[in-house]
Amino acid sequence: MTPQKKTMTLNLTDQEMRVLDELSEQKDLSKTALLRQALRLYQMVDARLARGEKLFFEDDQKAKAELMVL
Amino acid sequence: MRVPVKLVEKASGQFVDAELFDEVTEEHLLLAEEQWRPMIREARRKLPPELRPRNAHWDWTSKDRELALLANTFYAIQLADKIEGLMKVETVGHVCRLPEQSRKELVYIDYVETAPWNIKVLMNALGEQPKYALVGTRLIEAAVRQSFEEGFKGRVGLHAVPTSHDFYIKVCGMTPVAPDPNKENLLWCEFTPEQAAKL
Repeated sequence: MTPQKKTMTLNLTDQEMRVLDELSEQKDLSKTALLRQALRLYQMVDARLARGEKLFFEDDQKAKAELMVL
Repeated sequence: MRVPVKLVEKASGQFVDAELFDEVTEEHLLLAEEQWRPMIREARRKLPPELRPRNAHWDWTSKDRELALLANTFYAIQLADKIEGLMKVETVGHVCRLPEQSRKELVYIDYVETAPWNIKVLMNALGEQPKYALVGTRLIEAAVRQSFEEGFKGRVGLHAVPTSHDFYIKVCGMTPVAPDPNKENLLWCEFTPEQAAKL
């Protein structure tokens, strides 16, 4: 059922590792699952921006700010 | 991934072997459209407005560019040369809404559709009986299985159209959370890990 996976070594700073730990805890996910989610999100955002769509954040006053992704 | 699944042939009450897979291609989407949509439109013309399916306008081929995204998984159930069901799930962009699992990751069922010859109301409109049962259940089970494999602990969510409320709530055991004003007021339903484990 599960597709074959490959292993990689990831070098992170203490701060990056701390954020990864915190997000994993908040999201109830393993670090691997969290990074996999980040990759999926990055690819999805990139694909939609590439076809001309825009990404916005809306605050509680309904003001929108466009997020620019490199 | 390709796994055997059992469906029930309604006429005989016997189990039949079909195949569930996630290696869905553009050709599978096209095949489903060719096999399904004309029958759905024909049945729709014969049904009163309150029984007309809301998916008559769906077009799986329009989703072909989404096949390549890691965030999406497409599932199909095939029996012989017929596509019996299709489902598209997303693993990013949606989070849980139930208070006890608020903002946790889930597998979101974006589209799920069963072949028209398996839907009683459509086949009755055409003067026939539905062919196979359990197609929808097998697809929901696949979404739950993926949720466990992703580390989401079985959490799954979807927007349910009114005609499928009973299936998701009574048959599958999902929790009806609330109508979603941002999605045509469709009812948001969710599996907790405990509910998913019972499916």
